[in-house]
Amino acid sequence: MIYILRRMAFYVAAFFVAVTLNFFIPRIMPGDPSARIIASFQGRLSDAQVEAIRASYGTTGSLWEQYLGYVGQVLRMDFGISTVQFPEPTSSLLFYGATWTLVLVGISITLAFLIGTMMGIHAAWNRGGFFDSVFTPLNVMLNAFTPAVVALLLFYAFSLQLQWFPLGRAHAMGLAPSFDLHFIGNVLYHATLPVLSILIVSFGGWHLGMRNVMINLLNEDFVILARAKGLSDRRVRYRYVARNAIMPQITSLALSVGFLLGGALVTEQVFNYPGLGKFTVTAIESRDYSFIQAQLLLLTMSVLVANLLSDIANVILDPRLRKG
Amino acid sequence: MSSDRALIEVRNLTVDYVGDHSIARAVNGIDFDIREGEAFGLAGESGCGKSTVAFALARLTRLPGLVSGGQVRLNGEDVLKFDKARLKAYRWNEVSFVFQSAMNALNPVISVSEQIMDVIETHEPELGQEGARARAVELFELVGIPPKRLDDFPHQFSGGMRQRICIAIALALKPKLIIMDEPTTALDVVVQRDIIEQIVDLKKRLGFSVLFITHDLGLMIEFCDRIGVMYSGELVEVAPAEAILTAPQHPYTRALGNSFPPLTGPRVRMEGIAGTPPDLRALPQGCRFAPRCPLAMDICRVDAPELRFYPEHRSQAACHLLN
Repeated sequence: MIYILRRMAFYVAAFFVAVTLNFFIPRIMPGDPSARIIASFQGRLSDAQVEAIRASYGTTGSLWEQYLGYVGQVLRMDFGISTVQFPEPTSSLLFYGATWTLVLVGISITLAFLIGTMMGIHAAWNRGGFFDSVFTPLNVMLNAFTPAVVALLLFYAFSLQLQWFPLGRAHAMGLAPSFDLHFIGNVLYHATLPVLSILIVSFGGWHLGMRNVMINLLNEDFVILARAKGLSDRRVRYRYVARNAIMPQITSLALSVGFLLGGALVTEQVFNYPGLGKFTVTAIESRDYSFIQAQLLLLTMSVLVANLLSDIANVILDPRLRKG
Repeated sequence: MSSDRALIEVRNLTVDYVGDHSIARAVNGIDFDIREGEAFGLAGESGCGKSTVAFALARLTRLPGLVSGGQVRLNGEDVLKFDKARLKAYRWNEVSFVFQSAMNALNPVISVSEQIMDVIETHEPELGQEGARARAVELFELVGIPPKRLDDFPHQFSGGMRQRICIAIALALKPKLIIMDEPTTALDVVVQRDIIEQIVDLKKRLGFSVLFITHDLGLMIEFCDRIGVMYSGELVEVAPAEAILTAPQHPYTRALGNSFPPLTGPRVRMEGIAGTPPDLRALPQGCRFAPRCPLAMDICRVDAPELRFYPEHRSQAACHLLN
């Protein structure tokens, strides 16, 4: 418990460092969004109008006052108004995009982790056997692809040519979001190819990771002892070997969250999927500062939260961490 | 204490380690018996094949290891021919194991109670969970650990306690034979003494046999009834412990005995054994110990001596000097 609290304190501190950097780094660059807008009016603005624009972007007052104002806004989850999708608040756009990215990344990360880990267990247990000799090299190869290539290939083959899957969107147009089978089915249908493209390039990593840790554990005395005890194969494999091998896997799962969100950016672009990545690309193209800033913060936060969750999971899984 | 009836008869046991281009014969056709209620010791340098023998006895040999010949008979049945069902019953019911490092012999992430109870529940499912738990409590009391600590995890125990837990697990099904592969090597001498006394006491009460493996000949002479000395995959001498101590017949046994300093008496310079054991892939002709043997004769370099019984020494030995 103390361990978890200590970790939480660390993540809160890390979050404030991130917020601070997020505030200062854009301000090191010359110019600010309000200056850009004011400049675009080429001096046809009155002083009062200039002041109003500055106020709406929070670029009035000293740097310190701006910083405090920014931290306050972040804590209220108020990221200002989007300049591109005016007058939509950034936070609601962010929330909308995050929901779909969560669907996409959530499904693919879970599937990739489960499939890869199970394959790794199987390959390690029958090391050098048929399954191991075929799938281990194959998965290494798949793991070396980039999401962009796989996404484009899938899109071209199944959406454009065969037309088995839709060309974009998270669900059919005009379908009102609701929690019924029809809507969820439609969402899954639209998510199939994007999920597949992330899944194909990522499950190999879990396969390899699990296989290698398992193989190292197979020579441990407690595994040999478990076999000598005449326990069932299943029990030795899962309760003694996989149970120990899963802990480093969970740590790398947390570390991969940031990477996966980055990868989703490309996938969402290819499949025209309304996730965070898609919004971010649009925001960068149109210099929507408040959205980019909020998005970066959200990315930081999700990595921190993922790490906190993995810390908690490891404490639950590893009794050695429970003390102190 | 021990009867003359053999519990385990090992005959011509041969174990190979198979490499890509070569085969190393780690155990080369050895014969010995373990009698009922007896503590039989296997001594020898690292790599002489003593642990390989233990693994073969428990049917734990895994690739690249391969039992390529011989028999291990338990009350007349050949253990090496057991099918899956018989093997499952053989394991732990008849032969259990205590490993060298108690540090690594317990699964660090599941509770100790689970590690005792799973073996009981696997082999005696009719006991149920409560029966298995009651047995686990008994076992903890038997090795002198408070049963209230049953649900603790391995890292919460000291090294000596962990080894006691391993012994409790080994006793869970009241096996006929417990193989102890360097059970005290990882412990300090005081704890080592406690553990050995405990094993002696338990053996007296429960009457199991022990196959005891260590390179600490002094400890072995104290604990074991009979001792087999291995060199380079072969038994060079098998004799009662006191004969190994007072009248070792094989030059290797003598050299091994001289490698340990006496606790009392004047300080002497330790000799050790010159040279290193031979490469199992390129063995010398004749006696394998000949290149390191101070007493080697011409015949030793040509002809390999066989293990023979010498009643006048109460010892089996494989050495040309005795003929």
